[in-house]
Amino acid sequence: MKNMKNLILTLNAVFFLAFSTFAQIDRSKQPEAGPAPKINIQKPKTFTLTNGLQVMVVENHKLPRVSAVLIMDNPPAPEGADAGISGLTSSLLGTGTQKTSKDDFNEEIDFLGANVNLSAGSARANTLSKYFPRVLELMAEGALQPKFTQEELDINKQRQIEGLKSNEKDVSFNARRVRQALTYGKDHPYGELTTPESLENITLEKIQNYYNKNFVPTNAYLAIIGDVKFEEAKKLVEKHFATWKKSAVTTANLPEVKNEKGLQINFVDMPNAVQSEIAVVNSTNLKKNDPDYFAALVANQILGGGDGRLFLNLREDKGYTYGAYSSLGSNKYVSSFVASAQVRNAVTDSATVAFLEEIKRIRTEKVSEKELEDAKNNYTGSFVLSLEQPATIAGYALDIETENLPKNFYETYLQKLNAVTVEDVQRVANKYFKIDEARIIIAGKGSEISENLEKFTFNGKEIPVKYYNKKGIQVDKPEFNKAVDPTVTAESILNKYIQAIGGKQAVDNVESVLMTATAEIQGQKLDLEIKTTAKGKSLQVVSMGGNAISKQVFDGTTGFAVVQGQKIPFTEEQITDVKADAAPFPELIVKDARVMGIEAVDGKDAYAIALNDKTTAFYDMETGLKVKSVKTVTQGPQTMEVPTGYSNYQEVNGIKFPFTVTQSFGPQSIEFTVNEMKINDGVEESDFVE
Amino acid sequence: MINKIKLSACAMILGVSGFAQEVEFTEYDLDNGLHVILHQDKTAPVVSTSVMYHVGGKDLKNNKTGFAHFFEHLLFEGTENIPKGTFMSTISSNGGTFNATTSLDRTYYYETFSSNKLELGLWLESERMLHPKIDQSGVDTQNEVVKEERRRSYDNRPYGNLLSVIQSNLFEKHPYKDPNIGYMDDLDAAELKEFNEYFDEFYGPNNATLVVAGDIDIEKTKSLIEDYFGPIPTGKEVNRSLIEEKPLASVKRDTFYDANIQIPASILAWRTPSMKEKDAYVLNMISTLLSEGRSSRLYKKLVDDQKQALEVAAFHLPLEDYGMYAIFAIPLGDASLNTLNEEIDEEILKLQNTLISDREFQKLQNTFENRFVNANSSVSGIAESLATYNVLFENTNLINKEIEIYRSITPKDVQRVANEYLKLDARAILSYLPKTDDVK
Repeated sequence: MKNMKNLILTLNAVFFLAFSTFAQIDRSKQPEAGPAPKINIQKPKTFTLTNGLQVMVVENHKLPRVSAVLIMDNPPAPEGADAGISGLTSSLLGTGTQKTSKDDFNEEIDFLGANVNLSAGSARANTLSKYFPRVLELMAEGALQPKFTQEELDINKQRQIEGLKSNEKDVSFNARRVRQALTYGKDHPYGELTTPESLENITLEKIQNYYNKNFVPTNAYLAIIGDVKFEEAKKLVEKHFATWKKSAVTTANLPEVKNEKGLQINFVDMPNAVQSEIAVVNSTNLKKNDPDYFAALVANQILGGGDGRLFLNLREDKGYTYGAYSSLGSNKYVSSFVASAQVRNAVTDSATVAFLEEIKRIRTEKVSEKELEDAKNNYTGSFVLSLEQPATIAGYALDIETENLPKNFYETYLQKLNAVTVEDVQRVANKYFKIDEARIIIAGKGSEISENLEKFTFNGKEIPVKYYNKKGIQVDKPEFNKAVDPTVTAESILNKYIQAIGGKQAVDNVESVLMTATAEIQGQKLDLEIKTTAKGKSLQVVSMGGNAISKQVFDGTTGFAVVQGQKIPFTEEQITDVKADAAPFPELIVKDARVMGIEAVDGKDAYAIALNDKTTAFYDMETGLKVKSVKTVTQGPQTMEVPTGYSNYQEVNGIKFPFTVTQSFGPQSIEFTVNEMKINDGVEESDFVE
Repeated sequence: MINKIKLSACAMILGVSGFAQEVEFTEYDLDNGLHVILHQDKTAPVVSTSVMYHVGGKDLKNNKTGFAHFFEHLLFEGTENIPKGTFMSTISSNGGTFNATTSLDRTYYYETFSSNKLELGLWLESERMLHPKIDQSGVDTQNEVVKEERRRSYDNRPYGNLLSVIQSNLFEKHPYKDPNIGYMDDLDAAELKEFNEYFDEFYGPNNATLVVAGDIDIEKTKSLIEDYFGPIPTGKEVNRSLIEEKPLASVKRDTFYDANIQIPASILAWRTPSMKEKDAYVLNMISTLLSEGRSSRLYKKLVDDQKQALEVAAFHLPLEDYGMYAIFAIPLGDASLNTLNEEIDEEILKLQNTLISDREFQKLQNTFENRFVNANSSVSGIAESLATYNVLFENTNLINKEIEIYRSITPKDVQRVANEYLKLDARAILSYLPKTDDVK
């Protein structure tokens, strides 16, 4: 009886359960998410050629396209006196083969609507599937039968040397190089620096040898993904890659990478810097197959992801920078943690404190559940969406092989991500964000920021400052601030400048100046026309290809700008700014100029004078001529400094004007060459009205 | 000689392996008339949920314009179960992405989530279809937003009224004559009652297509769709009758003044057949031939070689009832609009009188196949294609077959269509000029 009752109860429960699955959904509440999805990543079919090339084919016939990725997983090797040889070899690949000229090779790829990219360590191709046989053949031809010529070597070497030279003053570029050299050591392949000298050292013979030694099938993987049958892919690969000669790869002994004990500041003086590059770095041994890997991803996302703590603190809260982020690499040899930002000079020390505080906080306090959840959601979203692209799938298949990952690494990616706890985050933060062994590498303008850095303390401890040059070599502390002779005043410097350009009388006779100048940006001609009058009016027109792209008009009291056809009246603040420049010689209308000190401009000492709140100008100590000015410009949340250089002074009607004017915006600079300079000619009252 | 060899090699490859795209899908109707298309793709655990309503700028309310676009905004205001202002934040806090677009023919809403949030997507879209909040405060809010959008996209943007000018010159009676966003006077005059009526007229399940694409279980998804969308009552039957326009018979000239520009533009425009016609596809190809890429005919001639134009673009806007074809050019330096038009006409005449070369034709085919293939490389792309082919072309399987239409096009078709539709003596020649103070 009792059993019977139990049976009925059970039956009821079963029925009830069954009914409840068909019951009306409750639409008054947001539905719960299901369990994290399992990833279905197709397993590649594989085969190995006798020369060692390992091939994986992922058939996917959904779209009629195929991609092929060839990588050589060679261990890193130092390039020594020939540093840069891998990059140079990369740029020479694809410039012709034993059978086909460069132009014919590229034209055929275009015609097929395909892409083929070759480098010293890889080759990639994307194409419609029907052209795959030909495109794979072209890729193989380009990669395996290259023809290196002296002509292409010369051109590419020249281009790369020019590239290095053009970056000489680029603060970010130099900061990055010094960071690599200091993090890994200059003898480690990851820390080696390519220089014009090392590039000059490279000969055609060395390139050929480098290619022969490294472009070998021993550690090579070829992934083919898409609308191609395994058998067909195999046939094609055998046809085009079987002749690739087997050859051993020598493994170099790599120097050990170690962090130094104790926090330290490594300073690189960049006298032209208007922003400081700050990077808190340490090397780590995080590998993709570490159990910590997912916790480390999450910890880094919370600290320095797209809207992580660094971003919220340094940008949103304090407004020091346009963006502050961190990255934590993973690599089977060695990798690094980097937290970095570009900040304006004046806040370099405060921003450094903010970095250290945030790193300390994530090490000492647990992150909130919400932060953890958001970071996981973020990684889930981007991981899941990235899986849609065949290239990603190829990359993952290769990863599993080259990084020694379990076969189901990516299938279980989301489960492992979701298993991360707040405790894990704190644990790995302590393990990989090594605040006690980190270098704070700052590249910036020593004359403005080194004084505060010398006094820098963290956790009540003074932090030692070491100085480095752009090649990552430690140097003595440079002399930043030269004392100005007390008899020198702003007035005397400005008088000397007026004297130097032609004298007070000549300058006083100038009623108007018309200047036209031209610059080239990425092959486009940019024309600049500036008119100014002694009565304080100004006009500035920038045009491209004969059409005005921006225009500023100021009639002495009010004005407007026309940008992309839209007319925008000046604000009060803009009027003040434009007014300060609306004169043939702004020095004549300056009030309250202040001497700021002596600074080197292009290696020559110059007096720095603050002409007003926003402009500092530099006058050569010897010639008296103005050589540079720096303007503070505010755009949205960001404040930046825009330097302008003046050189190549030439005389017009007895007055010297700079005929070369260079303006920089961040790493970009534009050089204007003056075409015409007219005094008291070519300027009409009507220029300054609408 | 080299080219010849290469060409025959290509022809051989073409012969050997055929085109193999196959997007599988299931489609059916719910009892309330909602058309459902499911596409399973387990490549990535992503699911895209979208609804395309067959209502667009051409569907007026009491002769008032801009309603469909207005609803694109209004239907994010909230529903009986989704509080005002939380529709969008619910999506982003769940790691999803979303958007909505309105054309002259249709309105499209979509969300993409990781696949474990399928039910969330269905809930959001069914809430929007079942009982959105359409009240005066929502209408007032969105009226301001839409006005701001009109200023940004049309009235304050250089060349922002270009399409409106083309529309008003190519159509006299058909609602394609009016801008998609509508006239602000119409929206200001619209009453709440009219918005509610418009919703009842066009937003019923029988005038919509739901697409769920991605990593889904088909049967489970069908049952969830029944749960969420099944209870939505059928709407009124939507009656459409084609408003016919007489063919253009002569050259129509017009001038428009835009206060936001300094450099004038010239526009040559033609009315073209419905997007469902094969000739519409030929016109798409002609656009590519004329102005896509640096080696295209007009770009190479006017921008690269002659340096007479800052920009030149030929574009076809295919639509359900008719299409529009336009060639737009901005002069460089002293080139006059007339000179540009003459140069462009020369290229049109060349199309009409000479067959395009085999190599150019083959490159064109390659470009189109690439484009077609890449349009379907994400589940959200596939979902939109499926919805579009179903709602506007009434043939969902075009997702697999459309490329065959392109491949059936011959150089002779290109010549024929250029003669039939791009007539020099039956078109609009429009001057789009900078507005200065002395021009009222």
